[in-house]
Amino acid sequence: MSDAAALMPFPARRLLSRKAWYLLAVVVIAALPLVLQDSYWRTNLTVCAINVLLALGLDFILGYAGQLNLGHSAFYGLGAYVSTLLIVKLGVPFWLAFAGGVAFSGVAGMALSLFAVRLRGHYLAIASLGFAVITYQILLNWISLTQGPLGIYAIPPPPALTIAGVTLVDFHNLAAFFYLVAGFTLLVYFLLQQLVRSPIGETLTAIREDDVSAASLGINAAAWKVFAFGVGAAIGGAAGCFYACFVGTLVPDAFVITESFSILSMVIVGGMGTLTGPVFGAILLTLLPELLRNVGDLRLVVYGAALTFVVLFMPGGLAQAAKYLGSKLGLRSKPEGAA
Amino acid sequence: MTIVAQQAINGVVLGSLYVLVALGLTLIYGVLVQINFAHADFVTLGAFAAYFFMHLVGANYLASIAIALVVGGMLGWLINAAIFAPLRQSRNELLPLIATIGVSVMLQNGMLAWFGPIPYAFETPYSNQVIRIASTFFTWQSVIIIVVSTTTIALLYAFMKFTFLGKALRAVSQDRETAGLMGINPNHLIMLTFVLASALAGMAGAMLAPILVLTPFAGTSVIVKAFAIVIIGGFGNVEGTILAGLIVGLIESFTTQYLDPGLIDIVVFGLLLIMLAVRPTGLISERREENV
Amino acid sequence: MSIFRVVLAGLALPALVTASMGSAQAQDKTIKIGALFPLSGPGSYFGAQDKQGVELALEQLNKTGVNGYTFSVQYEDSSCGPLPATQAAKRLLEQFKPDVVIGEECSDATLAVMPIIEQAKVPLINAGSSAIKVTEPGNPWTFRIMPNEVMQGVNIAENAYKRLNARNAVLLFENTNAGIGNAKVFNETFTKLGGTILAEIGFGRDVNDFTAIATRVAGLGKIDVIPTYTLEGQGLKITQALAQAGVTKGGGGQAIQLGTIWLPFGFEQKAGNTALGYIRIVQFDPTDQRPVVRDFVNAFKAKYNADPTHINAHSYDQVMLIADVVKRGATDSQSIRDTLAGTKNFAGVTGTVEFDKTNQNDKMDTVHYMETKPDMSWTSLKWN
Repeated sequence: MSDAAALMPFPARRLLSRKAWYLLAVVVIAALPLVLQDSYWRTNLTVCAINVLLALGLDFILGYAGQLNLGHSAFYGLGAYVSTLLIVKLGVPFWLAFAGGVAFSGVAGMALSLFAVRLRGHYLAIASLGFAVITYQILLNWISLTQGPLGIYAIPPPPALTIAGVTLVDFHNLAAFFYLVAGFTLLVYFLLQQLVRSPIGETLTAIREDDVSAASLGINAAAWKVFAFGVGAAIGGAAGCFYACFVGTLVPDAFVITESFSILSMVIVGGMGTLTGPVFGAILLTLLPELLRNVGDLRLVVYGAALTFVVLFMPGGLAQAAKYLGSKLGLRSKPEGAA
Repeated sequence: MTIVAQQAINGVVLGSLYVLVALGLTLIYGVLVQINFAHADFVTLGAFAAYFFMHLVGANYLASIAIALVVGGMLGWLINAAIFAPLRQSRNELLPLIATIGVSVMLQNGMLAWFGPIPYAFETPYSNQVIRIASTFFTWQSVIIIVVSTTTIALLYAFMKFTFLGKALRAVSQDRETAGLMGINPNHLIMLTFVLASALAGMAGAMLAPILVLTPFAGTSVIVKAFAIVIIGGFGNVEGTILAGLIVGLIESFTTQYLDPGLIDIVVFGLLLIMLAVRPTGLISERREENV
Repeated sequence: MSIFRVVLAGLALPALVTASMGSAQAQDKTIKIGALFPLSGPGSYFGAQDKQGVELALEQLNKTGVNGYTFSVQYEDSSCGPLPATQAAKRLLEQFKPDVVIGEECSDATLAVMPIIEQAKVPLINAGSSAIKVTEPGNPWTFRIMPNEVMQGVNIAENAYKRLNARNAVLLFENTNAGIGNAKVFNETFTKLGGTILAEIGFGRDVNDFTAIATRVAGLGKIDVIPTYTLEGQGLKITQALAQAGVTKGGGGQAIQLGTIWLPFGFEQKAGNTALGYIRIVQFDPTDQRPVVRDFVNAFKAKYNADPTHINAHSYDQVMLIADVVKRGATDSQSIRDTLAGTKNFAGVTGTVEFDKTNQNDKMDTVHYMETKPDMSWTSLKWN
């Protein structure tokens, strides 16, 4: 390393350039369904992608805007139900219904944030918990609207892409569906990264660290919190839309409050406040119960133990572990606050 | 008229049940500003401990309550030593919560593997004996619950207000740094709090075992409402928790009567959200308002 | 070598070869049963009992095999929910490649996996989900041996009206697919006959204390029957609370609690006097004197030191039905499916099995009625 490089405050050497990472991601995503050809593993891949989407949305609210959101399952469920009901009851075309689900969740997130604008720390956490419980109970009890526990069945996947009557992509095909969700997730990741590296990201960091001082700098903390909640909730809603048409069966129990804790665990285990952290946290915590199926009865005990130990011994999550490894290999880590 | 009176009695009994569970949470939150998500599983474990103690050793009910208390206390010591103490250094307030979620998953599934999923019928000499007064009814078990919870609350209250340890606990909860400057060792007090709170949880489990549907998942049926009670009452405030617990119990019985049991959670959490909007520090609060 | 020895060798060799081939073939001839049961979470209540029934059946069958076949099983945890059930089903199909699948318990999980298993052209035998949607649309690859919500609901409503002379009812049910579905059928049938539903009270699975609900019921005045759709844990609490409130016979009142399908034998011993006068549908009658039932009860008690429940009985029947199908000549998924469809008068421990054109077992002797006597034993009411 040259002297000049040693003096520079910014990383002088990265493992790969940002563009290269994206290319690698695209290649991996494209290759996965070709390597894993059976429907079981392709299903797992898609569930991973949906969970990554959920984790990213929550991480944006929690890790970047510093808002303790314990009720992310509400946005997940709202996205799923709103989009599905639009399709099933009103015959709205798929992508329009998708947009409807995303928008509804986003607005719900903003509403929650507006309501809770004065609340901080654990008060906000419990308010979000309360919001999630109420949302679940409404989905469960308003049977005339949502069917409640009776469920909605035979939800179709997105309509096939055709040109002049020739089917290009049929989303009944598991690989095609995976590409759709994974592609969407990659896009969301890219957009979030741009957001985080922009002045908006700095604003959010300022609010997260100390919103009183931020206010003294003229930042309207409340407005930005609402914005962050809206974005994170909208992303959660998108995950819900994909969930509904992927599983084909929609019941409220998929969105109980413990689902929020699962998503939260993915974010924490992956590494809160980074963007790559939640990706790997989600993948790990989605695949772990599947890989543990051979363990039998104690499967979930092992899962709980793994969760506890990660938090105890690696509180920064996988991202921290990666950074540690990186520093051992002589790579400088990125400066604080950057994505 | 008697329906109203009866539902009021039902509500008070239910409320006492919730207070017993929530008291421990309040204590922990008051001193440590932390949420132990495995708290309700301590309650369940206390119930199982009492059950097996009664059935294997043949001990009487009241002795098994004492056992459950001890079991709870030990769990509290363990969870503080293993999780909360090591994580106190980190700035992240969510880490202990997640760790306790992991513990909760382990406990529930461990209990599942050990006890199985079929509900245990925990019968005590008191659970089915009905007392009828002026066309209202209640069981001896509910009388025991009210008496024990009132006594516990009174003792706890006296402890917090009048003993040195109690005042030290309150000092640590209000301002840990200054308490430390006054010669109080916060770490020992925190340990004491955990042991006390978890012992309460274990005891609650033994008291509630005849009422609960006793499976390893019994805790999840009460934990979220217990959180709500702690907040509605005012974090870390014992009197608030009692009041909030009773209110929630009454809400439950009257919502069941006049609306629908399925709406209970909506009403309770709706109340929670209103409280948070209007008076976030809770019904009764000792804490200073946070610097907004 | 003498000619004698040559002849002997000539005879022995093919015999030897056939014998070794025979045993190799016997090892190859296994019917693979895939089992989708909830093994984790609260649903494991079903899964744990399902396993017991299956294990007993396998133990008995594999002693001698059937038509040269032995049976093997692979369990996958479907957790009672659509997504985990989908993952479990795919894993089962991809990795174990079963000839036939049994499961699930919860209606939404069953409905979610039906298309997947159908697509794989594997027959599914269900004995746990009551939703009519499982069979009504007519899926050629899904078979249900237990009576569905319509069969049970219409039957018990009619019996309540006609045999018990009930003219009003209060419905109590858990807020699940099965609870709501079953209550709805009772409501429709009973009202059509001329009865009145005084109240419909649904509650979540997390309710522990039923005193408030019992109080509300007590305030409704004179009630004839109280159909209750819930599992044994909450069922016990409800029965006790209703007795404490003086509503039901067990508490000195006059309402008859109508239990259904989900309460196991042994419930009375836990409920005590509060269960007096309880009348309910059970899907398995352990007092049934048919030899197949007596043998099952004795074998189960010998193996597990407990009385079998309907869940044990159902899974036992599922495996025994598969064995019967193999005995009738089925060897693979397609032939199992076809032979299943043509089942006539199979004597299961839960009752007779014969499938109608939607592959629903329509034999009503699977709907057994019991009344609780003062000494806490069951009387079988021969209503079917």
